[in-house]
Amino acid sequence: MADAPTDEDKVLIRDFLDGHVHGVVVEDDEDLFASGLVNSLFAVQLVMWVERTYGLRASGEDLDFANFRSIDAIAGFVARKKALVGGDA
Amino acid sequence: MTTRTTTVRLPLEPALPVELAQELSQRVYFVSDTITGFSLVRSADGITAVDVDVDTETAVDPAGLARRINLMTANDLIGQRITEPKVVWRAAGSGPVTDAFDELVARGGAVEAGEGLIGVGEPVLSLMDHLDSLLRALVVEEFGAREYRYPTLVSADVLRRTGYFESFPQMVMSVSRLHGDIDSYRGFLDALADGGDLQEALSAHSGGFDHCLPPTMCFHTYHQFADGPLPAPSMVVTARGKSFRNESRYRRSLERLWDFTIREIVFLGTPEFVLDARGRLMERAYELVDALGLGGRCEVAGDPFFLNDTTAARAWSQRLLELKYELRLPLDGERDVSVGSFNYHEQFFGRSFGIGGAKGEPVFTGCAGFGLERFAYAFLCRHGLDPAHWPDAVRTAVAP
Repeated sequence: MADAPTDEDKVLIRDFLDGHVHGVVVEDDEDLFASGLVNSLFAVQLVMWVERTYGLRASGEDLDFANFRSIDAIAGFVARKKALVGGDA
Repeated sequence: MTTRTTTVRLPLEPALPVELAQELSQRVYFVSDTITGFSLVRSADGITAVDVDVDTETAVDPAGLARRINLMTANDLIGQRITEPKVVWRAAGSGPVTDAFDELVARGGAVEAGEGLIGVGEPVLSLMDHLDSLLRALVVEEFGAREYRYPTLVSADVLRRTGYFESFPQMVMSVSRLHGDIDSYRGFLDALADGGDLQEALSAHSGGFDHCLPPTMCFHTYHQFADGPLPAPSMVVTARGKSFRNESRYRRSLERLWDFTIREIVFLGTPEFVLDARGRLMERAYELVDALGLGGRCEVAGDPFFLNDTTAARAWSQRLLELKYELRLPLDGERDVSVGSFNYHEQFFGRSFGIGGAKGEPVFTGCAGFGLERFAYAFLCRHGLDPAHWPDAVRTAVAP
């Protein structure tokens, strides 16, 4: 499936998060913000990191909490964006 | 006496995306209080300028105003990302909605006392009390909320601890008094004698800015539990009180006041508790709006953060993470007003007030505030001023 999240992406995302959660182990489906692991201003850094890392621009309906809530959600979002950019890749 | 105004065009460099029109509009009057009116100038490039009306009795300084407005747009707006509007609840309500303010004034139900200051008589008075009693009963039943009545004044040090000065300096209302000294009182009275200028006399002889008027009720609650562990793993506190914000020229009818009444509910505890409680209260509020025969919607919203280094980031992360929802009710065919907001603060206030949670971590908080004047006003715009046309339960409870 073209838009399935990859383990490689999840590793990248986890590496980025590790620098901000002070050694806490984060589950793939754990809500990053509701559990208090990071504060809301971190969302801005997270969106910008995703854009920079994957060379994409998040705008309009991309900027939905559902796309950034957890490692799974971010990986899914990245996969969908890649699929759009890559067409039938 | 006639006031003369002139219109000055303030170019925006760079132009702003049209999606930021609302964010821009809600800050223009705060750029300078010499601005008495404004309109946005749009082109294919976006919003390219703001035409502002200024009073010609004051020195008009177009370059200075342009510098100030661009300072604000650079700091507060350009870094914002535009999120899509997100409605989480909607109900149609029945029948037309007609702005009731003029009729209310004509019948003496609302009395304009000054800028942003409106006194209310019947039926607004009883309706506000009735709506408040419904909200209070609802939060006592749903959460076993503890009720407090707080002083009107809040210490300036407490307000500083909330971060309000940094977030909303434009809205602060402070309270001062004459210097506590006989020579000062005499100097003040001498300055007033023979019709001396009151503002000059007050400025010269006042001091002690150690109190403010509270912009919301929940600040009192954080102060109440400051510097210690929360007395229980989770708590719900409710209070009703007068709240004050300098809304400048954004004041309008009962829709936006400088001085208004809030029924506030504060949640303190774990993030799961606070978010669940906020969600439950939103559901109960929708049921209440339905039962009152009012239509409306609830949507993701933001606060008018102003001039802080983090304004742009806070504004759009607040919307992205849905930290704030507003319950909006119509006032006529086009306008609506937020009668309540449901907010999640993460550990912001727990940390700044040193309130400890169950594991010693800064407690998580959330709050909901209902503007009682607005709620009553929206009810009257929907159902009219004549109680004969109100829902039976309200008429029975409120009828004089």
